[in-house]
Amino acid sequence: MGVKARRVSRKGSVTTTKHGKRAGAFAPRRRSTRRTWITPLGVATAVLVPAAATGLALAVPHDAAASAATIYLLGVVAATVVGGLWSGLIASVISFLALNFFFTAPKHTFTVRHAQDIVALAVFLAVAAVVGVLVGRLLEARYAAERRADETARLQSFTSLLLSDWPLGSLLQRAAAEIVDSLKLRSCSIEVSMRPDTTPLRAVAGQPSPSAGGAMTEATEATELTVGAETRRLGTIRAEMPPGRKLTGDEARLLGAFAGQLALRVDRAASEAEAQSARLDAEANKLRAALFSSVTHDLRTPLASIKASVTALLDSPEALSPAQREDLLRTSLEEADRLNRLVGNLLDLARLRAGALTPAAQRTGVEDVVEAVIARLRPMLKPFRVRTQIRADLPEVMIDPVQIDQVLTNVLENAARYSPPGSEIRVAVARFHGAVEVTVADRGPGILPENRERVFEPFQSMDAGRGRGGTGLGLAIARAVVEAHGGRISMEGAPGGGTAVVIRLPVAPRPELDRAGTAPFARSGDAEP
Amino acid sequence: VNRVLVVDDEPQILRSLRTTLAANGYEVLTSATGEEALAQAAASAPDVVILDLGLPDVDGTEVVRRLRTWSDVPVIVLSVREGQDDKIGALDAGADDYVTKPFAAGELLARIRATQRRTTRQGQTDAILRFDDLLVDLPRRLVTVRGEPVHLTPTEYGLLEALASHPGKLLTHRWLLQRVWGSAYGEESNYLRVYVRQLRQKLGDRADAPRFILTEPGVGYRWLREPDEA
Repeated sequence: MGVKARRVSRKGSVTTTKHGKRAGAFAPRRRSTRRTWITPLGVATAVLVPAAATGLALAVPHDAAASAATIYLLGVVAATVVGGLWSGLIASVISFLALNFFFTAPKHTFTVRHAQDIVALAVFLAVAAVVGVLVGRLLEARYAAERRADETARLQSFTSLLLSDWPLGSLLQRAAAEIVDSLKLRSCSIEVSMRPDTTPLRAVAGQPSPSAGGAMTEATEATELTVGAETRRLGTIRAEMPPGRKLTGDEARLLGAFAGQLALRVDRAASEAEAQSARLDAEANKLRAALFSSVTHDLRTPLASIKASVTALLDSPEALSPAQREDLLRTSLEEADRLNRLVGNLLDLARLRAGALTPAAQRTGVEDVVEAVIARLRPMLKPFRVRTQIRADLPEVMIDPVQIDQVLTNVLENAARYSPPGSEIRVAVARFHGAVEVTVADRGPGILPENRERVFEPFQSMDAGRGRGGTGLGLAIARAVVEAHGGRISMEGAPGGGTAVVIRLPVAPRPELDRAGTAPFARSGDAEP
Repeated sequence: VNRVLVVDDEPQILRSLRTTLAANGYEVLTSATGEEALAQAAASAPDVVILDLGLPDVDGTEVVRRLRTWSDVPVIVLSVREGQDDKIGALDAGADDYVTKPFAAGELLARIRATQRRTTRQGQTDAILRFDDLLVDLPRRLVTVRGEPVHLTPTEYGLLEALASHPGKLLTHRWLLQRVWGSAYGEESNYLRVYVRQLRQKLGDRADAPRFILTEPGVGYRWLREPDEA
């Protein structure tokens, strides 16, 4: 009851948050009242409650001192509940004086006529004080228990926040917000360095005062984040109080607990990051080695063929038959094309690594690109039966036509590379939920399901690309480009053997421009030709 | 004899183009910089300019722009695959066509011939364009396929006329939109998509095996077929 009354009077509104969940709204304030000797509210209660009791006792028709004493006693209990122990004790004294003044003869003086009244007053004072102290202690104990439960809940909520797998940056942000909320701070800033040589991560919550600006002020309390027997300093939590408030001992202890938990979490993140970077380093090294050997091989092979062919033509043209000459020239051309593809893919790969392959997306139909690529690759696709199935009324997608052209070229080249001559290559474009799906299915030897993901890794072409002109980069680049478009690319088994590469590109949001058939298309005053 | 100005800062490219073009009966002039190219274009009035976009002094697109202030000489741009925006930029600046490096000699020669045919045809466009079984009667705005009249909407006809009267030339989205829809247009390439699709359907053309209209993704469209000699 007392709690609720206080919440109303203090906050001006009744919040009905349950304990333990987010009780932060009032609990820390109560704690601070308990700690300080007496609050203005306590003083007010200590004065006003006996006054009210006086009014009530005077209003009672029988102005017997005995019944007045019980009313005052009730007042003392109320004052203790509302204002705390000291408030109750002061109320006891005031009540004692008021009882003396208003209800013992002679009235309206502090003198006491009858000896039994002196005894009654003394008994009243003693009873009031004892009741006040008892009630006060009781409440104090209850508050302490509540406070502990509350602290535990808060710490638990903080810990569960730390257990979540947010990236450290946003985790710190959330932690700062939680601390501000939990301790009713003006602001909280957290600064953390995973290692001494890294730039610290910073998070600020609340409204830092302009003077604070991350620096220490009188209203700021800094807590170090340390782990491992205080040996490693990971960072600092700076808690800024609203004007005129200081952290109570309990709050400081809670802040310390927060800091301890946070330090553990940061430490864990640091070791995870270290492990991750070690893993990436190892992968990068493996990739570099693969790249080096593959590129050396793939660059040198066509160069060797070209050089051999051209020198043969230069050195002894008369020794060669026209058919042989043509053969050498064709070899040079094919190898030059192969070299061109490899260099193009390597450039794309380099750009991907540098993060420079940002799609210049425009609203277009992926089927247009599909058809243009098939049209352009006709010479290469000549040995195969190409069947295109393009659904009508396909929605538009947001794509970079040049990059998606490259993706489809790589996928079709891959299909052509592994398809037996005369077999069918099927290219289908259809709507698939919120995406447009392009499927390129071949009747090649197929790839075991467990190996299908690997074809999208660089230098993982199934026969290592040897002899078939594959560099093992095409599909890796295709995947990177499609994913940069927010799409998906995967390999599936095709009915009747072979594989199907499936590309899904998200449908573009509805255009603001009018589409076909509406006003902008009509040319006014133009008759049918 | 036709005169070709080749602008490229790579001596190997100049050498191989000089040989190839000379063997095909062209008189070849070369420049290694943009400024030199502009001076030479003014002094010796070439019939075709072959221009690399990556020049050491002036950007190739800028060369086209400056050339266009006083000359209509056909310009074929040489570019590497990476510079897609450069390509569109050069075409919008007034270049006639582009060829991607590395290119086959035959491809370049075909583009040169196409630009020359357009030049010689200029001012004496046939009234009736015949492309195998497709007939476009410009004065009567009549289109037939295998003798059967094809009904086109005014916009479809405008698009067909724009494409068919520039055979071989790569027409950018912006150019086509402004020509067919009007000067207020330029970004609405989705209009083009829709109408090209309809036009193809009516002409019996297929996008994946085109006879007439070729899509250049992200850049524009090209009318593939030269008109038959009357």
